[in-house]
Amino acid sequence: MNTKRSVYQLSILLAVLGLVALGVRFATGHRLAAYGSYVVWGLWVAMYLFFAGVAAGSFMVASLDLLFRVDTFKGTGRIALWTAITSLGGGLLSIWVDLGHLGRIWKVFLEPHFGSVMTQMVWGYSIFGVILVTTLYLAIKKPGSPQLRVAMIVGLAVSIFISGAVGALLGVEASRPFWHVGLLPVQFPFFSATSGVAALLVVIGLLGSPDDPRRASQIRVLGIATDVFAGVKLYFLWAFFSQSLYGNVPENVAAVELLLFGTYWWVFWILQILVGTLIPVAVLAMPRAASGKTAGWMGVLVLLGLAVARVNFVLPALAVPELAALTRAFSGPRLQFTYFPSLLEWGVTLGITGFVMLAFLIGKDRLPLRGEEVA
Amino acid sequence: MDKDIIISMQEELARAIKRPAKERRWLMVIDQRKCVGCYACTISCVAENKLPPGVVYRPVLEDEVGTYPRVSRKFLPRPCMQCDRPPCTNVCPVGATEKGAEGVVTIDYKQCIGCRYCVTACPYGARTFDFGEAYTDGTPEGLPAMVGQARAGAMERSASFEYGRSWPRKGDDSPVGNVRKCHFCLHRLAQGMLPACVSTCIGRATYFGDANDAGSTVARLEGSPNATRLKEDLGTEPRVIYLV
Repeated sequence: MNTKRSVYQLSILLAVLGLVALGVRFATGHRLAAYGSYVVWGLWVAMYLFFAGVAAGSFMVASLDLLFRVDTFKGTGRIALWTAITSLGGGLLSIWVDLGHLGRIWKVFLEPHFGSVMTQMVWGYSIFGVILVTTLYLAIKKPGSPQLRVAMIVGLAVSIFISGAVGALLGVEASRPFWHVGLLPVQFPFFSATSGVAALLVVIGLLGSPDDPRRASQIRVLGIATDVFAGVKLYFLWAFFSQSLYGNVPENVAAVELLLFGTYWWVFWILQILVGTLIPVAVLAMPRAASGKTAGWMGVLVLLGLAVARVNFVLPALAVPELAALTRAFSGPRLQFTYFPSLLEWGVTLGITGFVMLAFLIGKDRLPLRGEEVA
Repeated sequence: MDKDIIISMQEELARAIKRPAKERRWLMVIDQRKCVGCYACTISCVAENKLPPGVVYRPVLEDEVGTYPRVSRKFLPRPCMQCDRPPCTNVCPVGATEKGAEGVVTIDYKQCIGCRYCVTACPYGARTFDFGEAYTDGTPEGLPAMVGQARAGAMERSASFEYGRSWPRKGDDSPVGNVRKCHFCLHRLAQGMLPACVSTCIGRATYFGDANDAGSTVARLEGSPNATRLKEDLGTEPRVIYLV
């Protein structure tokens, strides 16, 4: 069966689901969401972090072609930029629906408090969005121009900054020992780069032309890069968890243990580590096995693992009570320290994924994004 | 017969509100040895501020200590600490929450966008989110002779008067979709009334007043050798003191 057609069909299905879910979200507010007053952020925030990471990472990957002019990646710059644009849109939509007052988002722009890392991040991503559109325009209309190089240099710096800012958003919170580690803002740019590499692997592996002479070498290099980044990711996880456990701060230990051995242990061990890391690493390490569509599917698994990793960063810190006895005080459905996304949250998230995929496919078909279509 | 401490604190409050706001330093002192865990403070706060499900300003934390047969229970009412160095204010992306002139951390409901970043920043779990729900949601309307959802829910839908304004619960308007927290009943203080939790404490375990008034009850208790604050090591400088 034609892969492209299948992806189109899946995207349309998810997008329709998303429209329904968004309609329900707008009509019912937060009443059908499963998060509460203690686990106050859920799937939507985690997916914002994920999509934002893909956006920043895709820009980093685009710089290989459009800034550093790496021959292997020639012709991939514009498609990577388009990936970044669509992912950024998904991320911003995901965080917007999470707000208590959707109509007040303008206040972050017109009445900002710049002392807040969240404000810095919102402004950073907004500026990043402008840079993305500008660079894509220049890449199509004025390829190889000095303006494009300047835009790429500025964009690369911004993409690293905003990736780190996402880590800082959580890392600055001294009240949550699980987040409050200096490693976090350092880790996130690496995660973003991994996301960008995996996204390009999906694009080239699943949707790329088999006739493209560079495709095989691109997949090989992206596969190696994915494996290297996976090693770095695992090292970061080891550093993160071992420091927490050796440090023995009770709230921190509780969060790590919850993640590793709690009710949702399988989310970490099965989805994030086995499916999202080890399987793709093993397959991509075998050049013969990891050619073409197989490599593309491995990219999908890596992205899934990264999305799960975002959930595993956000939730454990919130699922540990700030004061131990809070679990038994004035409890109620919204005053719990457990969380599993509701049907509405899954619907919105799958829908946003569908919007991103559909927008990407339409752009890929309608915009001059391939290398040989340089104006 | 000794004067009830509530009457004394009312008189101290009357003195305090005559002074400029900047010269006042509201302080709450909770004597854990006197708290019997009756939850009157929790419930009076819910009633005073018309708090919906999922929103609680002053839960009472219970802890069982010791081993049988030497076992006892401890109760820790936990209002907002009104920190002098609050971790929750600087994180707000639109400056909707701030340390007010009287030292109380306030939320501007019309400015809050409901991002809940401040909730994650509070080390005491003192901030909660208003999901727009009601305790009477899903209850039957009832027969004509019975009180049904509409009448029973009237209390929930009636306006609260937090921050000196009227906040009826209509659709998704504020305070629905906002983060909410204890504010030491600023609206009551402005009228010379003690916070609801203080007035209703049957064990007289909660004291409140202006610590800048040397003759006040809280000023006297603030320096007690058994006075302590929650998570002192974080350096948040809470304005709620516990006597242990």
